[in-house]
Amino acid sequence: MTTDQRPRPAVEPVPGDVRSAMSGGGVWLDLGLLTVRVRSTVPELAAPLCSVYPGMVEIDPRDWADLHVELAEGAGPRRWLRRQSRFTCDGERPFEPFPADHALPLFEWGTNWVLARRMNDVLLLHAGVLERDGLALVMPALPGSGKSTLTAALSLRGWRLLSDEFGAFDPQTNQFRAVLKPVALKNRSIEVIRAFEPTAVLGPEFAKTRKGTVAHLAPSAAAVALRGVPASPGAVVFPRWQSGSATQWLPARPKVVFTTLAFNAFNYAAMGASGFQAVVRLTRRCPAWQLIYSDLDDALHTLERAWPEVRERALSESAP
Amino acid sequence: MSKSGVPSQLRWLGALVTPACTQAWTLAQWQTVIRVSRRLRLLGRLAEALDRSGLLASVPEGPRRHLLAEQRYARWRTQQMLWGLERLPQMLGRVDYPLVLLKGAAYLGQDLGIGRGRLPSDIDILVPKAHIEDAQTRLLARGWQETDLDAHDQRYYREWSHELPPMRHALHGLELDLHHNILPPVARVHVDASLLLADLRPSLWPGWMVLAPVDQVLHSAAHLFHDSDVRDRVRDLVDIDGLLRHFGQERVFWDALVARARRLGLHQSLALAMHFCSTWLQSPIPRDILERSRVQGLSRPEAVWLIPLFDRVLRPTDPDATPGLRQTWAARTLLLRHHWGRMPVRLLLPHLLHKARARSAASA
Repeated sequence: MTTDQRPRPAVEPVPGDVRSAMSGGGVWLDLGLLTVRVRSTVPELAAPLCSVYPGMVEIDPRDWADLHVELAEGAGPRRWLRRQSRFTCDGERPFEPFPADHALPLFEWGTNWVLARRMNDVLLLHAGVLERDGLALVMPALPGSGKSTLTAALSLRGWRLLSDEFGAFDPQTNQFRAVLKPVALKNRSIEVIRAFEPTAVLGPEFAKTRKGTVAHLAPSAAAVALRGVPASPGAVVFPRWQSGSATQWLPARPKVVFTTLAFNAFNYAAMGASGFQAVVRLTRRCPAWQLIYSDLDDALHTLERAWPEVRERALSESAP
Repeated sequence: MSKSGVPSQLRWLGALVTPACTQAWTLAQWQTVIRVSRRLRLLGRLAEALDRSGLLASVPEGPRRHLLAEQRYARWRTQQMLWGLERLPQMLGRVDYPLVLLKGAAYLGQDLGIGRGRLPSDIDILVPKAHIEDAQTRLLARGWQETDLDAHDQRYYREWSHELPPMRHALHGLELDLHHNILPPVARVHVDASLLLADLRPSLWPGWMVLAPVDQVLHSAAHLFHDSDVRDRVRDLVDIDGLLRHFGQERVFWDALVARARRLGLHQSLALAMHFCSTWLQSPIPRDILERSRVQGLSRPEAVWLIPLFDRVLRPTDPDATPGLRQTWAARTLLLRHHWGRMPVRLLLPHLLHKARARSAASA
C-alpha cells in the first residue's frame, strides 16, 4: 500500500526561485491552523525546505501571515570562518545560532517554539495527530514513546497526518486542526522508517544537532491537500516502544488520559478554564489505550483492528 | 488636534484610547499592528481595549485570533501576579513597615485601565531600606529563593542597586523584585526614598500601599529615561500616558507633578516623558505645564541632543527591517549616558571591566 498520490499544484516553485523569494519579500507556508511567512538570507534553507514541504511553498505574496520568521546569516568575522544562521520572529530569538547548513532544523524548532507560545486561541496538546474516517487519533508525546516513528509509519499507510507535534484542539468547534509540518525523525527512527517504506520522501540528514541526527519526512500529497479540513476527536493512544516486546493493547484509565493530555500540553495553564473544559471533553469522548510495541507492522495492524470500535463509539456520540 | 507629530509607525496607538479607529484598518495595517504591538508588549492591552468597546468580534479573523490568544495569555500572567500578591502579605507575616506595590502591580491594585491586558514580567514591590533585609529573610523562610550570582554581582546589587537580585518561588510563575528605592542610590540623580514613603496611599487591597499618583508618574518616567536600553520601550510611555489621563482630570495634579519632579530631582525624566507623551500619544497635558516642565527639566543644549537621541531609539523600526546604524549608535550613546549617570567612574570602570570579562568568558 502506498500513500495517496493526488496531483500536486501545477506550478510548484523550484528551489532557485524559492531562494530568491526568501531573500526578498519571503515565501508563505500554509500549515492549516496558521500561515508562516519565511524570509532567509541563508541560501542553504531553500532546497531542503522545498523537499520536506512539497506543494506547500508559495511565492505569491499573501495579505496575512500568523508568524513572520527570518533566518539570517550571522554578522562579523564569523561570517567568513564558520557561517551561521540565526532564527528571529518579531524580535524574539529563542535559540543560539546554528551552523548555516543546519538552517532547516533551526527553522523547524524555532517555528515550533514560537507557535507553541503564541497560538493560544487553541489548546495545543503535545501529541501526534492522524485522521481516518474524519476522526482524530491522538498520540501524546511521552519520553521514549516512539510517537514520531509511529506517526510517520501511520502517515505512510493511508492515515492522514495532521501534525507530529501539535494536537491543536479548537475549543470553539471541538475539532482538531492540522499543523502540517514534516515529521522530525531522530537517530534510529530514520533507518526504521526507511526500511519500513523505501519510497518515503525524507529530507537531508542533519548530524550532531542538539537532538542527535535528524531527518524530516515530507507529508503526503493527500495530507497537504486536506490540511484545511479538521478532524473530530476519535481516540487517544499512548504508544510505548519496548525493545523485543510483543504488541500489547491495554485500556487506559480516564485519570491517566486527563493528566497526560493536560500536563503535556504547551499552553494548558494559559488556556485557563477553557483548557480544562476542553481536556475534560476529550477525556470523556475518546476511548483510550496504551500500545506497547516493538514491531511497527504489528502495531499498525492492532490499531487498524481497533479502529471500527472507535468509529462506532464516535457515531453513537454524535447520534441525537 | 493635528496628528503631524505622531510617527507613522505609532499612529495605531490611538486605538488604545479610541478603539473605534480600528474599524478603518485594512488587513495589511492589522498585520503591521499585530507584529509591532506584540514586540512592544502592547498586544494584550490592545485586545482588552477592543474587548471593552465590544469591537473585538468585528476584527478580521487573522488578527482577531492573535488578539484573543494574547488576551488569554496576558490574563493568565495577570492571574499569576494577583495570586502572588494575594499570598505575599501572608508570607511576610505581621510587619510594622509599609509594603508598596510598584508599576504593573500598583496599576492592578488601583484598578487602573492601563493594568488591563498589561503583560507582567515580574512582581515589583518596595519596602523601606531599613527593613529590606527583614523582608527578604521572611520570604526566604517561606520558599522564595535568591538567584545564583557571582560575588561581584551580589555586591553590585547590595551596594549599588535600588533592588535585591530577583527571587523565585517554585509555586509562583513570576519573579519577585524587592526594591528600596526607584533609582540606584549611587546615581547622579539621587532620589530620597523617605519622601516617597512619606506620601503613600492605600491600594484597593488590604496590606498593600501604592506611591502617590505624581510619584507613580515620576517612577515610570525615571525608569524609562534612566534605563540602559530604551529600544522597544514605548509601553512605558503608554503607561505614563494612562496615568496622566487618569490622574490628570484635576488641575492640582499637574502643578503637584511639576513641583514633585523638582523635589525628587527627576525633572529631566519628566520633561522627556511629557515631550514624548504629548507628541506621540497626544496626552492631554495642559500647555503651560508642558512648557514649565520643559524649562525646568531640559536646558536648550540638552533638549537639542537628548530629544532626537531618544526619538531615534524609542521609535520602533519597521518589523521587517533590522535596526539601522543610526539607531544602533543612538542606543549606544544612550547606554553610555546611562552608565555615566548610574555610578561614579571609580565604580563604573571596575564594573564594566568585570562585565566584559564575564562576557568573554561566557562566549569562549
